[in-house]
Order: sequence, then C-alpha cells, then structure tokens
Amino acid sequence: MKLVRRPLKSLQARLLAPLLGLVTVIWLGAAIMTLVDARDELDDLLDGHLVQAAALLVVQQARAADDDDDGIADAPSLHKYAPQVAFQVFHEGLLVMRSANAGLIPMSTKDHGFATVRLGKGDSWRVFSTRGIESDVQVYVGEQTASRNAILWAILHSVLLPLLFALPLLALGGWWAVRQGLAPLRQLSHALRQRRPQALEPVVLAAMPSEMRPMVESLNSLFERIESMVASERRFTADAAHELRTPIAGIRAQAQVALGAGADEAQRQHALQATLAGCDRATRLVEQLLTLARLEAAPAASTAAAASVDLSAVARRIAADLAPTALARHQTLELEAIAPHAVAGDDMLIGVLVRNLIDNAMRYSPDGARIWIHVATESGQPTLRVEDSGPGMTEQEMARLGERFYRVLGHERPGSGLGWSIVKRIGNLFGAQVQVSHSDRLGGLAVSVRWPA
Amino acid sequence: MRILLAEDDPMLGDGLRAGLRQLGFQVDWVRDGVAAERELASGDYTAAVLDLGLPLKDGLDVLQALRARKITTPVLVLTARDAVPDRIRGLDLGADDYVVKPVDLHELGARLRSLVRRSHGQMQDALRCGAVLLEPAARRVSLNGEAVTLSTREFDLLHVLMLNADRVMSREQLEQQLYSWGYEVDSNAIEVHIHHLRRKLQPDLIQTVRGIGYTVLRT
Repeated sequence: MKLVRRPLKSLQARLLAPLLGLVTVIWLGAAIMTLVDARDELDDLLDGHLVQAAALLVVQQARAADDDDDGIADAPSLHKYAPQVAFQVFHEGLLVMRSANAGLIPMSTKDHGFATVRLGKGDSWRVFSTRGIESDVQVYVGEQTASRNAILWAILHSVLLPLLFALPLLALGGWWAVRQGLAPLRQLSHALRQRRPQALEPVVLAAMPSEMRPMVESLNSLFERIESMVASERRFTADAAHELRTPIAGIRAQAQVALGAGADEAQRQHALQATLAGCDRATRLVEQLLTLARLEAAPAASTAAAASVDLSAVARRIAADLAPTALARHQTLELEAIAPHAVAGDDMLIGVLVRNLIDNAMRYSPDGARIWIHVATESGQPTLRVEDSGPGMTEQEMARLGERFYRVLGHERPGSGLGWSIVKRIGNLFGAQVQVSHSDRLGGLAVSVRWPA
Repeated sequence: MRILLAEDDPMLGDGLRAGLRQLGFQVDWVRDGVAAERELASGDYTAAVLDLGLPLKDGLDVLQALRARKITTPVLVLTARDAVPDRIRGLDLGADDYVVKPVDLHELGARLRSLVRRSHGQMQDALRCGAVLLEPAARRVSLNGEAVTLSTREFDLLHVLMLNADRVMSREQLEQQLYSWGYEVDSNAIEVHIHHLRRKLQPDLIQTVRGIGYTVLRT
C-alpha cells in the first residue's frame, strides 16, 4: 500500500490555518444572516413608510378636493433622500399632484398594493398604490430600491470591516497562543538535540502536558530497550573477547614453551599436543560463534517455511557421527529412536541442535559414561531426550544455563558455553521447549526438547 | 622468584606455568578467585599473574580485597578484557600492570621482573652488592666482572637476598620465596645453598644474624 501525502507543515501552521479559516467562515456566515435579516426588516419598515406616506396623501387629497383647486401641484424636494422618494396623485384619471421627480404617467399598473417596477432611466422602484377615500382618486408612492441597497451595503460594511482588522489581530494572537502551547514540544526537541548520540538515559522534562506524556514515555521505553540491547551486545563482545583470546593466548604460550631453550623432549611434546588441542578448541569456538550469529540473523519468518523433519532419523545420523568419539572415551551411546517422529524444522538446524545436546552430554561426562538418546511421542508431543551419567548440575547452574558463554565450573574439558545458546535458539525458532533436569535413569543431566503437538 | 598464577583456563594456565618456569620463575597455579585470594594473602609470593574472569570470585574483586587488607604483592593483571574503562578500573583497583591476552612469554617475564624490581625500590634490572653483580633477566652473576656459575636454587636465593638487601630474611621467608608447591624442602637446604654461595662468591657476602636469618649488605 502506498500513501501519497502532502508533506506536513508545521504544527503551528496546521493549528493556525484552520482556526483563522473557521473564524472567517463563521464571521461571513453571521454577516450574511445579519444582512438577510436586516433586508427583511428594512423592507417591512420602508414598505410601512410607503403605506404611511400614501395614507397621508389620501387624507390630504380628500381635503384638497374640497378646495376645488385645479392644476398640478409640484411638491418641493426637502431632503437629500427626497429625490429617491416620489409620489403621484390622480383624480378622475388626471394627475393632480406629484413630486418633482415623478413622471406624468402612473408609476404602477396596480390599483392597490406593492409593486417593484422600472422607471425613467431604468432605475428600480418600489411602488405602493392605493385608492383615495373616493374611488376616483388614485395615489402612488414610490421609493428607489437603490436607497434600500445603499442601507444594506452600509450594514454589510459595518459588519465586515471589523473582520478585516480582527483577522490579522486574531492571527497574531493565535500564533502567540499556539507557540506558547507548543513550547513543551520545542523543549523536548531541544532536549533530544542536546543529547550525546550514545546517551540512552530517559528524557526528563520539567513540565510535560498530558498529551505529550505517552510520546515521551514511549521514547523512554525505546531508549530503555536499546540500552538493554546495547548492554547485552557489550557483554557479548566482552565475553566473546575472553573466549576467543584465551585459547589463542594458550596456543601462543604453549608454542613458546615448545620453542623454549630449557624444554626437554617430554615438555616439548606436551606443549605441542596442547597447542593442537588449543587450535581444535578455537576452531570449534569459531564454528559455534558463526552458527549462533547465523541463527540470530535468521529471521523468525524462516520458521514459516519449516519443513517436516524426521527427528528419529536425525538423532540416528548424529549419534552415528559422534559414536567414534564416544568409543574413544569408552562412553556408551544408547539410542532409542525407531519409529519416525515428524517435527517442524529444518533438517540442518535440527541436526545442529541434536549434535550440541549429545556433544554436551559426552563432553561433560567422564570417560566410560553412558548417554541415552530417546525419541518418542510424550502426551502427543514429539520429544527428544538426552540423558547422561555425568556429574549433573545444581539448580543454580541449570538456571544460568543458556546465558551465552556461561560454563559450569570445575570442568577440565573446555567448552565455549555457546552450545546451550545454540540449542535454545534453535528450539525457539521452531517453537520447541528445551528443559534441563536431573536424570532419574542415569543420575546425570537430563535434557528434553519438546515440539508442539 | 615465586609467582602465583591465577588462571582458570587449563591450557593457558598449563602453558604459562611451563613457560614461566622455563624463564626461571617458581610458579604456583590456582584456578579460581577464592584460592588466588587465599594464597596471595599468605604473602609468600614475589608477584602474581591474575586473570580477571576467574570462577568463584572475579579477579578485580580479589585485587580489591587484597589491597583492602594492605597486601602489597605486585599484581600483573592478564586478561581478555581490553576495553579502556576495564584497564583503568584494573589499575585503579591496585593492579601494578595490565596486560591483554595473548601475551608473549618473554614479555610477561620481563614485566614480572620489572614489577618485582620496582616493588623493591630498584631502578635497574641489575643488582649490585659490592663486587657481586646479578642480572635477573639474563640469570647471570659475576664477581669483579667475571662470570660465576650458580645452580638455579643458588641464583634464586642470591636474587631474593639481594632484592631485600640490608634486610634480614628468615629461613622460612627464604624457603617460601624459593620453593613452589610440591617440593620437599630439606630442613638445612637453605644453609647448604648459603654455604655454596659463600664459597663461590665471597665468604663475607652473606651474613648470618644468629637466631633470625641472613642478610646481604648493599655496600
């Protein structure tokens, strides 16, 4: 899946832009509502005025009729708004009175009621027409709609103008507030920037908002995990250095003894034998380190592709491989692995596991010891058991087994302490459980590897 | 010179013991930290070679415990831990030298001789008492510039006495400095060696302090 995203702008911009946008939209919405409302009210009010003016004209016309005064009367214009207001009074179809800006023909075709019409040069007028008290009198009162619009524009202006000033002020205030709010984030990034690259101690901020707590806590837990990884790697390097340097130092010392001027033939022979043994030991150590390194690099995914392996066949093959070594030390290998037992795993890796177990049993048991290898299904689980008649281990020693390079004390036979790590690692890879206990059968150590059913 | 070797690795320990013996050191070998501390506490050793990764008790703990008990035996730390902080810690805890494995046997011998020399306030490897000159590295002794042939024990005895010149050494002290484990020491062995040394060098070189022991005067 591929997500295409615009690059994220700063949090500041992300907070400020919607805030200002929202304020503008709400303000404009309020302005439109005010405007609509104001227009309706204004229409009502001004229509009321038209009606009022018409009523006045009607009353006045009734009185004027008594005076029997013929001819058209032109009313003077008395106010700046006057040119925008016009009226006409007709009597028996004749124009008897009009305002200066009114024409000679009736402004509206309607006898009674409101109409919006275009007059003169095409200006839009709102006209109210009504009859007089006597039906031969017709009164028209009109007002240019432009004047209404002018009022509406004035209202709109007075609503929108503050926004123009408010927006920059709001942007400035918002910018400051957001900046203040984001201060802990800046402190965090500053604290992170100031750290030495190797520093893995937790980040501590004096004041931390609750929103940042989870992030800082995750960060600290990440640091903690990295630190423990680094520590374990450092320990591994130190241990590996010791394990690798010691045989080499031994080889060197023994070789120098063999070369030494004072050495007699027996000493020389002894030293040369020890040199060879040292080389074998270093070789084995290097092989085990490489195996372990490969295993640790092996992704867990490889288990998904695990094939089915016959545990019995593997045990037989490895036991046959190791039999000559056992014979040379008068050790007895007893193998009980007749029926095939299929387990999930990799043929080579299961072989490495079995070899390490049998090899360990042989290595740490005295000459003439018995080693019993058993493959069976126990409570539905394919199980490999390797037991020996060696010295066994204390509970404490069993608990520490599998720490890389941990070796049980008091053994003349040098081991690297890596065999167990390898066994455990392969076990984990295929979901098999490795357990160490006391062997009731032979008196030494008992190791069981149990695959899931 | 009697050296305590504390090393848990069988092959390396065996090689170092054999190699140091070839170089003329008397070597006792222990394989764990507890034994190392016990043996060093006896004060019978001229110097010690201490591995750090020892079973039962870590070498640094051994060192710390010894120095806390005011035991000043020179200690050469021989270890695989090569990180600078480890070295600093080792030296600060009282190690007199810090050597990372693997080490050349001859270099190890030279470093041990140097430690012993310095712990006895000597600036040079060669020791001189009057007309007698003793060169530990070459294991050579000369009287008025002429080489004198000494047996291993005679050389070691003279070396101990000259290192501790102007100080009286008891017979027990001399025996402890001279013989590693597994040697049956005749009750008059030291006297016999002293007698030989007086005959081969100068009759008045080694003086007997009755009831206490022997001494060599520097001038």
